[in-house]
Amino acid sequence: MIMAEPAARQDLETPAPVDEEALVRQARRGDLTAYDELVRRYQERIYATIYHMTSNHEDANDLAQESFIKAFQALKSFKGGSSFYTWLYRIAVNKTINFLKQRKNRTHMSLNDLDFNAEHDPDLVALISDKTPRRDAGLMELQEKLNAAMLKLSEPHRLVVVLHDVQGLSHDEIARIMDCNIGTVRSRLFYARQQLQGYLSDYLGPT
Amino acid sequence: MNESENNFESLRRLLALKRHEIPPPGYFNSFPSQVLSRIRAGDTAESEEFAGSSWLLRFLQVFEAKPAFVSAFASSLCLLLLLGIVYAERPDGTPKTTLLASVTQPVVSLAEATSSVLSPSSAQTGLMISTNPVLSLESVPSLFGQQNSLVQPQSSLVQSVNFWVPGN
Repeated sequence: MIMAEPAARQDLETPAPVDEEALVRQARRGDLTAYDELVRRYQERIYATIYHMTSNHEDANDLAQESFIKAFQALKSFKGGSSFYTWLYRIAVNKTINFLKQRKNRTHMSLNDLDFNAEHDPDLVALISDKTPRRDAGLMELQEKLNAAMLKLSEPHRLVVVLHDVQGLSHDEIARIMDCNIGTVRSRLFYARQQLQGYLSDYLGPT
Repeated sequence: MNESENNFESLRRLLALKRHEIPPPGYFNSFPSQVLSRIRAGDTAESEEFAGSSWLLRFLQVFEAKPAFVSAFASSLCLLLLLGIVYAERPDGTPKTTLLASVTQPVVSLAEATSSVLSPSSAQTGLMISTNPVLSLESVPSLFGQQNSLVQPQSSLVQSVNFWVPGN
């Protein structure tokens, strides 16, 4: 199973808005069955975003649950100015950034396993092929180095990389989630990639 | 921007590795039920905790939702306090009249009570109700067949007192 594939992006753009609105209306009236459906719909993307920000499964689990609980409690204040998905994302992102600020540098990685498809992903195979300076690097090592490098980025820069390069969201969607303009998103993305490239130069092929 | 995208192509390929990181099997099957059970538990705990102070909660929630109410409430409190001070400071205000009336009333009542105690008619009827011992002017038969010493002419109850001051 691949989390937050571009297929998720397709869902984002056409998430059957009528159904979602009806579910949100029912959930606002306290209908937990409707809210259960909303949780099922967005749990993977919300969890994945938090996981990629924290690099820790237990923290991601707690924060994802708390985000959905907070969203349910705050549903009455949801005016519908943005989509429920964007609003939910904002809650999750704010919660995660607050958590990371409190935790500061006390980082402890608890990484999820790679799925079976990783070994057959042509891009990844290319990375660990003879073109890579570190030929002995296995996927597990690559995963650890990548997560360690991600944690070196500041929270806003890490978030842009996660939302764009991992989750596949557009600049516009990221700007709405982060409540900033597209220019800021682009500049943050550029700077974050530069930083990552520096941290991971041993594992990247020639550009 | 396309040029920069090309510059970061290998980095993007490496970042694709993160999409293959997956939580333990079955994790997303139990996730919604965990969220809902926590919501239900939270509702129960909240309703038990705040059952007695629900009106206070609603009051505070209004403040949270509309901060303008906070300033309006504070202003009205200040205004009330100011009005109270001004009203109390007025020289011909009604509160003083009321106070005077309430002070004089017991005095009149006390005088009436005294007169009623001293009047033989009321003493005879025995309608006085008091927790204090009342000296009755009615003659009480003595156990020894004599008049009670307390029952004497009213003039004999008044005695002149001469205090001797040393050095005078």
